[in-house]
Parts: sequence; C-alpha cells; structure tokens
Amino acid sequence: MRGASPDNARVTTSTAPSARLGLARAAGRVAGAASRVGGRGGGTAISGVVAAWVEPDIRRRAFADRGLPVIAISGSNGKTTTAGFAAAALRSAGRRVAANAAGSNMIQGISALALDTVDVIGRRRADVAVAEVDEAALLAIADELRPRVLVVTNVVRDQLDRFGELYATAGALERAAERQPSGGTLVLCADDPLVAGIAPGHPDRRFVGLDLPESHDRITSAADSIRCPACRTALAYRTVQLGHLGDWSCPGCGLARPPLDVAVTSIARDADGTEITFRFRDRAAVASHIPQLGLHVAYDAALALAAVEALGVTPKTAARAFEAVRPAWGRLDAFEALGRHVILAFAKNPMSYRTVIGVVETLPPGLDLLLVHASSPVDGEDFGWLWDVEYERLRRLVARTTVSGSKAGELANRLAYADWPMPTVTVEPDEIAAFEAALRNTPDGGTLAVVSGYSPLRRIVEHAQRQGWTRHFWES
Amino acid sequence: MAADLRVLHLHPSVLNVAGDGGNVLAIQRRAGWRGIGVEVRRADPGEAIDPAWSDLTVIGGGQDTEMRVASEGLRGQAAALRASVEGGAVVFAVCAGLQLLGRVYIPSAGEAIEGLGMLDLETRGGPERFMQHAACRVELDDEAETVVGFENHSGLTELGPGAMPFGSVLLGAGNNGRDGTEGARPADGSSVFATYLHGPVLPKNPWLTDRLIERALARRHGAVRLEPLPDETERRAHDEALAAAERARGRRTAIRAATLGRPAAPRRR
Repeated sequence: MRGASPDNARVTTSTAPSARLGLARAAGRVAGAASRVGGRGGGTAISGVVAAWVEPDIRRRAFADRGLPVIAISGSNGKTTTAGFAAAALRSAGRRVAANAAGSNMIQGISALALDTVDVIGRRRADVAVAEVDEAALLAIADELRPRVLVVTNVVRDQLDRFGELYATAGALERAAERQPSGGTLVLCADDPLVAGIAPGHPDRRFVGLDLPESHDRITSAADSIRCPACRTALAYRTVQLGHLGDWSCPGCGLARPPLDVAVTSIARDADGTEITFRFRDRAAVASHIPQLGLHVAYDAALALAAVEALGVTPKTAARAFEAVRPAWGRLDAFEALGRHVILAFAKNPMSYRTVIGVVETLPPGLDLLLVHASSPVDGEDFGWLWDVEYERLRRLVARTTVSGSKAGELANRLAYADWPMPTVTVEPDEIAAFEAALRNTPDGGTLAVVSGYSPLRRIVEHAQRQGWTRHFWES
Repeated sequence: MAADLRVLHLHPSVLNVAGDGGNVLAIQRRAGWRGIGVEVRRADPGEAIDPAWSDLTVIGGGQDTEMRVASEGLRGQAAALRASVEGGAVVFAVCAGLQLLGRVYIPSAGEAIEGLGMLDLETRGGPERFMQHAACRVELDDEAETVVGFENHSGLTELGPGAMPFGSVLLGAGNNGRDGTEGARPADGSSVFATYLHGPVLPKNPWLTDRLIERALARRHGAVRLEPLPDETERRAHDEALAAAERARGRRTAIRAATLGRPAAPRRR
C-alpha cells in the first residue's frame, strides 16, 4: 500500500527535523526487529537502511546538526576493541553512550548508530556517540559525523583489493581529520610511522604508544611500513612491539616517533587477562587488569584512554572501567563446548595474525587448529597476504588442522609450503561442518583454536550461540 | 640429485606488497623436496649484487612509493643484473617488478620512474585499477598451461618489438585491458619472465615454478628435467583460484581506488 510506505512519509511530513528523526528511528527499529524475528541476524544494518530511507539526512541531523560529541575510531585493526573500551569508560563516567557495538562499521551501520542517539519523538537520548568507522566509509561521511575526537589505530595492508594502496588509506584518514570541528582532537598511534605522520598541521594531535624496555615482536621482510614517511630511508627501531609498530626513528632525516601523551609502560599477562600500566603525561600512572588476551589490547586500551580523556573522563575512571571489558565477539574470545576449550580469534591480515599467533603460542602444545577464510565483499578477494602470515611458528604446536571456507584450498597450500605434515590436515569447505568436525576431533579436555576471517567467524559464533556454548572458561 | 640452486630475492623489504615472498618460498620448497640444496640471499636497494652468483632472481610487487625507492636502489645493481641474465641466469618479476624491468613507468601523479630497460615495454598510470582474479595461457619449453593469480594494478603496459607477452589473457585485464597480452619476456628468448599476477603466483602454479627452476639449474648444471611431484594440494589451490576468476568474469571485485582520492604527501614535521 503506497500511502503507508516510508518513501511517502518522507515526502509528506512537514514536521520539525527532530520529529522526522524520531519517525526514522521508529521505522528503523521495526525493520531491525522484523529482521531479527525473520532470522536474518542482528538487524543493525537493515534498521540503518530503512531509517536512511525515511530521513536521508539522518546522519547529518543526528550528529553534525546537533553538535553531538562523536568519537570516531578508524584504521585497519583494533576498531571494535578500542570502541568497546571507550564506550565502557564513558558509561562509567555517567555519560549516556550510543555505540555501534555490533561492529557494523560501514555507512548503514553509522545510520543505525544515528538512530540510537534519539528516541521515537526525536529527543536526544545519548550524550556522546562512539562510532567505529570503516576506513573507506569515513571520508564519505566525515562531514556528517564531524567527530570531536578521531582515533586512528594503525594502517596496515588490509584488503588491498578494496583500498588499493596503504598511502591512499592514510591520505583518506588525513582528509577526514581536516573535517573535524574546531577544537577537535586527533588521537594517533605514534608507534605506526605512517599514522604518526597524519595531519601534521592539526592543532590538537595526541600520540599513543608503547614505552617498554623490551620488544615483543621483530621486523620481518613482510612488515608493512618500515620506511621513513618523509624520506623513505629504512627505519631503525629501538623496540618492536607488533608488526611494524614500535619505537622507530629515521637514520636518514632524523624523524622519530613523537613524544607520547599516553604511554603503556608495562604489560603482564596472566591466566585471566592482561595487567597494563599507562603513563599519562604529567599525571600519575594508572594500572588496569583487563580480562582480554593479546598485545593489541595494550594499544587499543591506550588509544581509548586518550580519546575519552579529550572528553573529560579521568584516566583513573577509564582504567577502572576497562577491568570489566570482555573481548568483543571473536577477539580471542574463549568458551567451553562438549568438554573442549575453544578459543575464537578473528584475523584478517598479517598484523592481526601476529597478535593471534602470539597468544596461540602460549596455549598447551598438541592443540587442534581450525583455519577459515572466505572471500566476500567484506572479507576481500585477494588472500595473497596469507603468505605473509608466519604459520611456521605454529607448526610444532598443532596436532591436527582443519582448513575451511572458500579459500580452503589456498590455506591448505600455504600450510604445505610451511612444511606442515599434510596427513594431519583436513579440508572441509563448509564452515559449520568444519567447526563441528574439528570440535569433535579435539580430545576431551583439549583446546581447539579457531582462527577465521570476519564473515565465517560470525557464522561460527552464531552457530555456537545457538548451541548455548558462549560461556567464557575463565568464569568457571 | 646433488645439484644446488642459488636464489636472489631482490628488494625483499620494499617490493613485498601482496604476499609475493611466497614465490621465493615456492622455489625453495619445490627444489628442496627434490633434494636440491637451495641458498637464498637477499639484496635490498643499494646493496651490491654479485653477477656470477645468482641462478634465479625474484622481484616482487610494490606500491608507487616503494617503486621510487626500488628504482633508485636498482641503479647501482642494474649492470650486475644484466650481466647475470647474459650469463644464463633467470629473472622472475611480478607487477612493480615487471614495470621496473621496463624502460619507464609514468605514474598518474608525480615524476616518471626510470626502469632498467631489460624488457622492451613502457607503463603509464591509467584511470582505473584492475583488481580481480585473472588467468592466462603460458607457453614455455614446448608446453602450455593455464596460469592463475590476482591482478592489482592501475598501470597500462605496452610491449615494444623487443618483447613478447609472457602469456595470453584468458580472464582478467592483463597488461592494459585491451590487447590480450599478459606480462612480458624478451623476444630474444633469454630467461626474463615478468607478469602482473600476484597470488602469489608460483605456489599455485607448480608447472611454472618447475620450469623456472629447470632453467635456473641449467646455468651451472646443464639441462635437467625435474621429476613431477604429487601436487594434489597445489592443484586444488590452482583450481580454486581459476573458479574464482571464472565467477568474477568481467566484474571488478573491489571499490575503485579513486574513492579514497589522492595519497597523503609525505611531509616533514
């Protein structure tokens, strides 16, 4: 019936912008709920699509026009985890936070987030929005978001078939920073040479990095960005922490990592998580025991600390809030299933694999491994980067391996050239069948590590949730 | 076989963009699995090359910025590389490596990048980026095979009379999206092979890898024919990539790089 269509509603309403926003919210909520009832998943993006249909300018009206403070988090890796920390800190400081917690970080996901900032009669129901935004989407909507704080986590070779080249990605982030409102803060990972050089003329850049006496990684010839951003000389590193992130300097022109506004000064891993100390310019250091694993947690928490501090949250409040932040789904997330320990690790490029491999190396040897990669518009088509992943480091720790997804053949071949014992490798392209088989082949009480790209991991997590296997084993 | 193989990985820390290091690994493993000892040396920009040492030189792909570093670094290495090919050694290059072996690369923005002139070809930056699964037909040593990979380049390459194509396009854009040529070899038959195919290309095209190893071994050990390996895993990866290229026929898999606009200009603080 045409008269009831959302399109018609857009044409005929002459109500105030806030009422139209409320109408968009109502329509989006109905669509999202319908999608969930219909079994199509969380419905986050679909509610954004419908809301944008009712109010095409929904993002501008919700964010820029209302001057709603927005923390936008972009970059290759760590967006979801950083956003989780920032939202928790803001909530614990008493702010009402809207966040795209589902990790829906393309434009539709941001429309859905815009919905969450208002109620059905268009009143503001959030004091601040935390938006993780895809690197390519950010520039397109920067004028609508007008982020008060923009966080750039890192720029690595991630989906070159989507983004083309690293420098183009860095350039897009720089131009998004130019669209910040006056008084805006740019939070940059100083340990990434390419990110440290973004927007040098910006009036308020804050630098975050790891200030540790020892290295946690080493530079390999497959590292992402080990040339000086100014003169292209090969960089020297005092310490290397994760991939090409570290305390770098250029022997050619003298450019070096900028002084840190927020520095991680110690990291200690224990059975339940990671104890991290942050030094905050002139303030006393704060420590936080975060129930998450992996070195990336230190970067992501420190970036979040700098971001919320720019909105007036004290480091102490933020550090305490981090202690309750569990991993986002699939980010080295653990549960028990059928008497086996399962650890789920999202990996989409050599850098995210480095942090995953660092954790898997600490698991008891003789473990079972499931590797899943599949091409899709979200996950990309070019999986050449699998050859930059150091699977060799895991070979001796793994008893049985299953490879799955539409790239199962490529994965098996990668393992063959890592000199993997191929009789221990099973190829099962169907992801759920592979997960079930790998789980049942894991000995009782043993550990299955699942390392997967985004879309297949999401399907595996949904399957595990349907089976009721979502409990973290450190809660038991 | 008591033979040994010497592999030079040229500019590994610069031309390494798309897992192309896998090409060196494929050569190492496939020779090693047959009992051939393999030594790999690496030479980054500006480091000296011994023209008599290498049997097989591998050059990977890189972005425009890295290409400039590589081009400058190659100047002092050019004579040795040329002498090594004249001495019967093999060169295998991918993407930016192909462009650098040509005479010149004229990017869409910025100054021209000088090449080595070991292949009679020129490349100009084009308006669109070819980013897709691709396949071509390659004839080598009286055999012909389908070689598969992933292309990701905006350069448009034109071959001169001194060059012949490495393969003919079956699926994908090849050198320029227009003339059906893929990659390049010298018309005189010397062993320089250049392709736009990433993937990396050698692990999933074992036939090609073995032909390169045979030619490289011939320099110091005379003509050899490698015993076939089972290659079940390699064939699966090859067929998976070929199926992806067939599914994606004529359809780019990616957003246009232009959406992101101009790259950030490096600046000093």
